[in-house]
Amino acid sequence: MPNRRLLLQCALLLPVAAHAQTAPNEDTWIGLKPMFFGEKPIDEAPGYVTLDAPARAEDAAMVPVQLKFSAREKGDRVVAATVIVDENPSPLATTLRRGEDAGVFDFALRLRVNSYSYVRVIAESESGALHMVKVFVKAAGGCSAPASKNPEEAKANIGKMRFRTFAGQGMAEAQAMIRHPNYSGMQMDQLTRMYTPAWYVTQVRVLQGEKLLFSMENGISLSEDPTFRFSYVANGQPVRIEAKDSTGAAYAQTFDADGAAY
Amino acid sequence: MRVAALLLFALTFSAFAAPAEPPSYRLDDYQAPVPATLNGQPALDVARAKALWEGGALFLDVLPHAPRPKGLAPEILFVDKPHVSIKGAIWLPEVGRGELSAQTDTYFRQSLSALTAGDVSRKIVVFCKRDCWMSWNAARRAQAYGYRNILWFSEGVEGWRDAGLPMETIKPYGS
Repeated sequence: MPNRRLLLQCALLLPVAAHAQTAPNEDTWIGLKPMFFGEKPIDEAPGYVTLDAPARAEDAAMVPVQLKFSAREKGDRVVAATVIVDENPSPLATTLRRGEDAGVFDFALRLRVNSYSYVRVIAESESGALHMVKVFVKAAGGCSAPASKNPEEAKANIGKMRFRTFAGQGMAEAQAMIRHPNYSGMQMDQLTRMYTPAWYVTQVRVLQGEKLLFSMENGISLSEDPTFRFSYVANGQPVRIEAKDSTGAAYAQTFDADGAAY
Repeated sequence: MRVAALLLFALTFSAFAAPAEPPSYRLDDYQAPVPATLNGQPALDVARAKALWEGGALFLDVLPHAPRPKGLAPEILFVDKPHVSIKGAIWLPEVGRGELSAQTDTYFRQSLSALTAGDVSRKIVVFCKRDCWMSWNAARRAQAYGYRNILWFSEGVEGWRDAGLPMETIKPYGS
């Protein structure tokens, strides 16, 4: 048994040594905070939003992150959440805005993480107060990782969407997926060996009937084929997913409440 | 059992610490343990790098640099972090990738030619970070271009900094 334990320790120690200088610290955030929130105070009061992210990500180009919004009194409900990856050259991943209900809400997305970094969520309540949660994620190279699909394939499917619900598995959740290469602008073209220009989904809106479930404004840190999983209870109303990308192209698709395409 | 464990540890560790030189350029996974040698010539240690620096050798930093992406909406923040390197070093980004675009290849050749004033016997120390194959690639490439005194400083910026030697913020050459 000891040899196995020792091997395991080696495996854990080596990557850490290579990144020894990138231990968690707040220096980057101290510089970024005023650019996003000016002089507004931000507390770390619990009970508004929680953040789940892996301590060490398997795929830096696809780091799963989950936000859970708690139920709050009217006036103190969270209406927006800004997701920031401190060490990404473009730190703003997304600003998520919630629908009018603003009750309990779970929301999962996938991010690119370029080097060991805090991922943080700054929740804004109806009163304008800001509450922050953060998780340190060990992942590197997510912004520059090559796309998993070739450009022709990505272009052929761009804007295609999927919507599925998990009611059948007993979960009040649904998943929306937008096919898009979501190029960060930091990826090398495998043929020309030049940087592929950024081309990414800038805005998303998901509606249930006339009611907005959530909207997003994004930077370049969302993963390829942006995918979101969120609290959802079918009520017979169709679900519409709308997206815009950085070239101004708009995409939309409407789905049956239970997930089949119209 | 314990001896076996130690042996396994030593084997594992040494395999990680100094992989053999590959037959050609490293194409990906650049941040990983590097060989001890470049074309059989041992990498510089910090003391030798320092002596060369004091002797006026040309120091080339080949760390890649992703500039603000084309196509990124102007209102989206993009932080071009200051790059702190060996004082006086010249930064030639991207030239240590496994394969170069024609443009980057030209940039590397022209930069070397200008920086050495065409003297292919000039002492040139190539580095990036510790455990970064890009410096190995770039050093090998410069040799292939015909430069005869290419030295590889595999300890890179971290080795230099940890020794308390002079550092400064540098910008990409020609930018």
